[in-house]
Amino acid sequence: MKSTLTGLSPGARAALIALTVGALCLAFGPRIPWLLEWPSSLTVPATDWIGAGLTWFIEGIKPAARVLSAALAYPMGWANVLFVSTPWPLMIGVVMATGWHLGGWSMAALGLAGLSFVLASGYWVESMNTLALVAVSVPLALIAGLAIGILANEVPSMKRAVQVVLDVMQTVPTFAYLTPLLLLFGFGPVVGLIASAIYAAPPMARNVILGLERVEPEIKEAAIMSGGARWQQLFLVEIPTAATQIMVGVNQCLMAALSMVIIAAVIGGFEDIGWEVLLTMRKAQFGQALLAGLVIVVFAIVIDRMSGALATERRRHDRRVTWAILGLTMLVTLVTWSWLPEAGQISLLAPVADGVDAGLSEFTKANGAALDSVKNGAMFYLLLPLRIGLDEAVLPFTWGFQWTANMSLIFFALSLVIGIAFSFSGRLTAGAMVVVFAGMIETGIANLPWPFVLAGAGALGWVAGGRRLAAFAMGALALILLSGLWDRSMLSLYLSGAAVFACAVVGGLLGLSAAVSPMAWRVLRPVCDMLQTIPLFVFLIPVLMFFQIGEFSAFLAICAYAIVPMIRYTRHGLVTTPPELLEAAVASGATPWQIMWEVRAPYAAPTILLGLNQTILYAFAMLVIAALIGTTGLGQSIYLALSEADVGLGIAAGAAMAILALVADRLVQGFAEERRAALGL
Amino acid sequence: MPDGLPDAAIACDGVWQVFGNQPRQRLAEALNKAGGDAHAVAGILSDAGLIAAVRDATFEVADGELFVIMGLSGSGKSTIIRCISRLIEATAGSVLIDGEDILAASQKRMTELRRDKLGMVFQHFGLFPHMTVAENVAFPLKMQGQGAKPRRARAEEVIELVGLQGRENSFPRELSGGQRQRVGIARSLAVNPDIWFLDEPFSALDPLIRRQLQDEFLKIQATLKKSIVFITHDIAEALKLADRIAIMRDGEIVQIGTPAEIVLNPVDGYVREFSRDVAKGQHATLGSVMTPLTGAERFSGESKLRTSMTLDDALASCVLDYEPVPVCDGDGNIVGVVHPSALAAALQTSETA
Ligand SMILES: Nc1ncnc2c1ncn2[C@@H]1O[C@H](COP(=O)(O)OP(=O)(O)OP(=O)(O)O)[C@@H](O)[C@H]1O
Ligand SMILES: [Mg+2]
Repeated sequence: MKSTLTGLSPGARAALIALTVGALCLAFGPRIPWLLEWPSSLTVPATDWIGAGLTWFIEGIKPAARVLSAALAYPMGWANVLFVSTPWPLMIGVVMATGWHLGGWSMAALGLAGLSFVLASGYWVESMNTLALVAVSVPLALIAGLAIGILANEVPSMKRAVQVVLDVMQTVPTFAYLTPLLLLFGFGPVVGLIASAIYAAPPMARNVILGLERVEPEIKEAAIMSGGARWQQLFLVEIPTAATQIMVGVNQCLMAALSMVIIAAVIGGFEDIGWEVLLTMRKAQFGQALLAGLVIVVFAIVIDRMSGALATERRRHDRRVTWAILGLTMLVTLVTWSWLPEAGQISLLAPVADGVDAGLSEFTKANGAALDSVKNGAMFYLLLPLRIGLDEAVLPFTWGFQWTANMSLIFFALSLVIGIAFSFSGRLTAGAMVVVFAGMIETGIANLPWPFVLAGAGALGWVAGGRRLAAFAMGALALILLSGLWDRSMLSLYLSGAAVFACAVVGGLLGLSAAVSPMAWRVLRPVCDMLQTIPLFVFLIPVLMFFQIGEFSAFLAICAYAIVPMIRYTRHGLVTTPPELLEAAVASGATPWQIMWEVRAPYAAPTILLGLNQTILYAFAMLVIAALIGTTGLGQSIYLALSEADVGLGIAAGAAMAILALVADRLVQGFAEERRAALGL
Repeated sequence: MPDGLPDAAIACDGVWQVFGNQPRQRLAEALNKAGGDAHAVAGILSDAGLIAAVRDATFEVADGELFVIMGLSGSGKSTIIRCISRLIEATAGSVLIDGEDILAASQKRMTELRRDKLGMVFQHFGLFPHMTVAENVAFPLKMQGQGAKPRRARAEEVIELVGLQGRENSFPRELSGGQRQRVGIARSLAVNPDIWFLDEPFSALDPLIRRQLQDEFLKIQATLKKSIVFITHDIAEALKLADRIAIMRDGEIVQIGTPAEIVLNPVDGYVREFSRDVAKGQHATLGSVMTPLTGAERFSGESKLRTSMTLDDALASCVLDYEPVPVCDGDGNIVGVVHPSALAAALQTSETA
């Protein structure tokens, strides 16, 4: 076996190994059951152990945590009073003045329009409650992020450890944080506050590290030669020089905090806008849910654009205008004080929401059949076969016939013929892959035998990054196997895999079209900007409106959220080919399409792979949120653990999710790295 | 050589700078294996994947001397001044500044030295992007703890010196490459350092400004007599400014000498290549080619030739002579002779070789 294998490319070898393991499992599975199903006697009760360990730990630090939570209650109370009791004209004035200061008239106008909408929506008080939480959590996150970033920069031996922790924190699903925090701090808004600070600190830390790393060595040296003490070098030169990157961190930190504060609404206890969305969604008042969701989106856009202006080169805007706006609104507030309506009583848009609600029920009633057929079609003919395989999904009731063992044989024989045809034309890897994919479709992702998954991940890791990556991928997956969360993990893998696949195809095509036609990009770009600013939670509303609770809705929500990086990176990779390469291709007489496939695409491959990587991470992040509207697998377990305050299950499932995401992340990054090396970049 | 002149401002002895993994240990091993041969040591290191950017550098810069380092791109010029200023830690060897062992100095002491004694102009300027020109220039003064007013005054003074008056409040990104370079020069001048490192300080300037700044530079040097290490690619600049020139190749110093020595007696083809396009007759002085008096010769009358004359001038004034011509020093005493044919030969060899 070995000697015949050595002449092959690593890709072909890996594909053949996966193929062999898969075939062996299929052949002997019926006789050796542990090949198909990891014996439960060999799993360890990881969930219980983690639960016991954590509970012990939590009980240990609980007093301290409760003190902290009591201490945090003060600033939170103040912020709340400040935001809620500030008269609304003044609040609008403050936001406009900030907008003017940061970005001139356009930002001021954005602030005015945004807050006016919030006022008209009738969710002013709830929004201010949310803002108060963000206003307290963001400074915490910023300080923590800055401190972590500086620590990593100053103590080089800490840097790797810090980066690993940041990586892991990025992949641990948001809901998984909440359960232990709930036990630590008790129900109430403090949990949301702390969760959002924890969630928002890593982006800040990352950007601080990146920014400090990128300060030109000569600038650092010039600071040294000027005789600055270390702290002077850092605070007077390096941090200001890295300011742009750090401001990107501030922007991401704000957005993450907002997103998390809203997600934290699921634990309740605070009259904020996220809770409002959840409540109306549960009551199926979609008009109101949409309105509240839009309020969140408006906030996200205003905060994002204004803090984004921090990170871009900016003109200095006249301070006097800032003060004039503030003074004017102060005056207006005072003059109209006596007859100013309470913000809570304004709800100009309620009739619109009701109208939308009514219209929507009309629409779903009228088009229910069409919507259902779309949903069922996608479910029965695409998602279900992918999940449980053709052999179980093809039933007389849906497909009109029953899948039989003979059909399996014919199916395999067909794929084998195609595979062999491929290998005879010299593309052995492609041939083996065809057969592997045929096997996967026949079996279904959720039913894949574990030896095959392990061998496949190992083979991919080996091709992408050598032995170490292969060992990491297999070891990490083996952990899941041992923990007994395997079945749920495979379900999660299936749904996110399906979504990632759809995103890769559709997003790749959209990215391609945007690269080819500037017109298409002009349309797509604002859509991407928008989708990227919307907090995760809000994606659930529209899919629920049309498709109710279920896997298909979850699938759509994941796709909507995760497709953006694929589009962006594909386009970016394709349009940033160095001009001299393009000129050389044109001079060699290549047609535009030849240039696209022969020059641009290979050159863009590493970038596109990075986009795919982001898409995968986004998909996993959304998977857990989508558990709210009905998915199975790990997401559901995490959500369940939250509602039952089961730390063990929450953390174990969260860890399994993080492992899946990390493995996927490392594999794709390995491929991107390999491509980059091949291009000599 | 290392412990020669007592008044050496800088004394480097056997300085190595190796980049890569565990450079100290690897260098020690390689030195053990290959003994003193720097070339062989570097070979062993590069086989192990390390880069020996500076190899066994030994030289001194006298107090008030203008010492120029030349060499091809990547030959280790910038690295060597980083070792001396301890921006990077030399892998081996010793560096004395005014007799003080820099490599053993504490961080605190280094900060003091940098504040008061050392100045540096960076090859890529190293300007702080968030500070205006004036703030950049005043930054070292701020580190010294000076107040805002005197800082500003001094900054304006040196900004004027480099011809950037009127741009005090611009940001570096708003300046051209040459203007940025001048800000870098002004910044290093602000504290009036005793020892001054300049890494290709005039490379981004147009010829006019360059000449102007070179002359300005020589004027400053004539009055202030700083000890200067000056890196350049431009042989004409080196010959114009230098008291002595060191030529580097692949991290090694292959020759150190006065401009005339470098031009007239290059140790090898590499050094010769540097001065190929130089009109030798304009740079070498008669003193460097004459034969000193043995005491036997007798000359009568007065000689037109002076030791400080360039070869070109000397040749012009004795083209018609066939006899050895006496050479006088500045006071008119005859100190040597030169044969016109030897003069022509000196010009000849250096040009055809
Ligand atoms: N931090 C570093 N890490 C690894 N190698 C380095 C580092 N700094 C310099 N080198 C290497 O050391 C050698 C000398 O570099 P140096 O910058 O001193 O060259 P230079 O003579 O100043 O060249 P130039 O005239 O182009 O400025 C080069 O081969 C360079 O690649
Ligand atoms: Mg250099």
